[in-house]
Amino acid sequence: MSTAVTPSAPTRDAGPDGSGTGQSALRRFPAALLRALLTQRIVLLLVLLVAVVVTFVLLSRRNYLTAAYDASYMSTALISAVPLVMLGLAELLVITSGRGGIDLSVGANVSLTSMVFGFAYGEWGWPLWPAILLAAVFGGLLGAINGYLIAYIGYPALITTLATYYAYSSLAVVINGQQPISTGPIQKLYSTAESVNVLGLPVPLGTLTFLLPTAVVVWLVLNRTTYGRRLYAIGTNDVAAEWTGIDVRRSRFTAYVLAGVVSGLVAVVTVAQFASARPDAGTAGNGMALPAITIAVLGGVAITGGIGRVAGVVLATLLIVWLNAGILLAVPGNAGSQFQLFALGAVLVFAALLNGLTTRRYGAR
Amino acid sequence: MTTTTTPGGGSPATPDTHTAEARGRVLPFPITGQEIVLIAVIAVLWVVLALATPAFLTGSSIVPLFVATAPVALIGVGMTVVIITGGIDVSVGSIVMVCAVVVAKQLVDSGLPLLPAVLLSVAVGGMLGLVNGVLIAYGRVHAIIITFGTANLFRFLGLQLFGGTTVNGIPDTLDVFGRGGAGRTLGVPHSFLVMLVIAALAWYYLRHTAGGRHLYAIGGDANAARLAGVKVQRRVLLAYVLTGLVTGLAACFVIAQGTATLAPNVGDGMELAAIAAVVIGGTSIMGGRGSVLGTVLGALLVQTVTSGVTQLNWPSQLASLFIGIFILIAVGADLLRQRARRTT
Repeated sequence: MSTAVTPSAPTRDAGPDGSGTGQSALRRFPAALLRALLTQRIVLLLVLLVAVVVTFVLLSRRNYLTAAYDASYMSTALISAVPLVMLGLAELLVITSGRGGIDLSVGANVSLTSMVFGFAYGEWGWPLWPAILLAAVFGGLLGAINGYLIAYIGYPALITTLATYYAYSSLAVVINGQQPISTGPIQKLYSTAESVNVLGLPVPLGTLTFLLPTAVVVWLVLNRTTYGRRLYAIGTNDVAAEWTGIDVRRSRFTAYVLAGVVSGLVAVVTVAQFASARPDAGTAGNGMALPAITIAVLGGVAITGGIGRVAGVVLATLLIVWLNAGILLAVPGNAGSQFQLFALGAVLVFAALLNGLTTRRYGAR
Repeated sequence: MTTTTTPGGGSPATPDTHTAEARGRVLPFPITGQEIVLIAVIAVLWVVLALATPAFLTGSSIVPLFVATAPVALIGVGMTVVIITGGIDVSVGSIVMVCAVVVAKQLVDSGLPLLPAVLLSVAVGGMLGLVNGVLIAYGRVHAIIITFGTANLFRFLGLQLFGGTTVNGIPDTLDVFGRGGAGRTLGVPHSFLVMLVIAALAWYYLRHTAGGRHLYAIGGDANAARLAGVKVQRRVLLAYVLTGLVTGLAACFVIAQGTATLAPNVGDGMELAAIAAVVIGGTSIMGGRGSVLGTVLGALLVQTVTSGVTQLNWPSQLASLFIGIFILIAVGADLLRQRARRTT
């Protein structure tokens, strides 16, 4: 691995411009700001986020958009952030675990778990909570298959998850003869995808019941548990971690299991959103895996492992979601979704190039 | 770069051994164990399929199999070169889409003849490959991230060109590469033949030229290769341009094998199919090891599974399950061999 032995990102919480002392601090401010923009992904994302929101609000005020881009529109748009943030966090866990960690199978996992959840809740008449639990466990099981092959046998993550992507998505389609499950109970589940009123804003319920808890739990796991520190350690340098007595294989295995559990929960959200358990829920079109990886990388997760923060993933998602929501108003019709592809690609390439520049200018991050 | 371990074999490109016998000593045997196993697996599958459905081994079933193999195998040849350098290109599906729509529109609008159409497609593919190559080689960013990004950008470009509809009434200019009678001579499909010629060229380049050996060196250890005098950035750039060029040609095959209508979902999933073919063929995803021959066999295996599932009247999506399992077996075999090499 080329990651040098810098402290992992979460320990660098101290403000970037609080370091200078005395009279020179003011003079050094522009350079410090530039440095913060380039080296602290969160600062950059915040600036971009503000720029995007301000731009669209101004456009909206001048009536360039087909509908008002205001607080209520922005909060309604958060519905599409739920799967993105959750799968982005799944990728955060997996990519941080190092050794080329990546999970291409999350979308296929969502598809297959959707069908299993659909069977349990829609056909076998399970109550809601056991069915959700089943989805989480089943998703975790699919993740465990990835994790076992990668961590214990030593398969390269990219290829393993490519193979399981094929396998899971195939099973998802075959398991019910290509048919979606949309029986009565599942259609009623749609009500849980509605919006609730928080401080006068229509907030999609999924953000409160799924997104927020997941983000908090992942943050706690990464920053307040021994396991989290171990994960950063094995991602930064797994040989060194091995010598300090960390069970590298088990820690890496757990990362894939956790990613699977999160995917299983996303399956529940997706079923509720569509009011139907669809066999191609997570694999239709571009699938869910590629946007999730994009979000993670944009959020500052280093593809080489060992670096990544929950806040970065959340901010990156907000940036993409609100940018996409604005594009839909600015470019009506079919072209809107095409420009969303453009925006996603351009932002990703820009962020990646910036990472490269940062590494060269300020040394290893 | 990000290589973790130095692979056991295949990479020593020592420039001071120019005599034929020295070269023979350095190079691995032309056909690897995995490739022999692959041939055996394909043969067994064909026999089983022939027993299960008597129609399988007849010409009307085998020839379309070769025709359908050609585009994925061709892209796989480029992908092999890229993966040998330690990179990857997940944007090839989008490149196919852009090339196909550009060429199809020209065929419909201006009645482009065969040769210019192929050249146009190859040129467009090469240009998109150049974009990837410049960003990866000179931006010093991991290939998978850049190509995820450019995949979105190319897809945007393609959808803009499609303009929300399909391209209809494509003339039969490209039928020499198609599945019909015009697409074969003495029963041999042209598209497969062209693919074989290009694969042979790539095989020679990778195995017997200094430039080709440099690609292995880069995949083995990019830093070591640079210190040994390899122009790493230029070689990496070349690898992605080559992939773009062959992908452009593959787009012509795709148009020729389709109907007279081209839909915007053209090229969907081809990147994964090509990567699957490469990996099943025994090329190491970590770079530094692999061969074009394996990739062609891998593509043939993938296509055999796909058409076999169809002929057995199983649900067609079941093919992906088998492809996934084949990938796991192929990579597992590779891991075992690596371990064996390390212990000896």
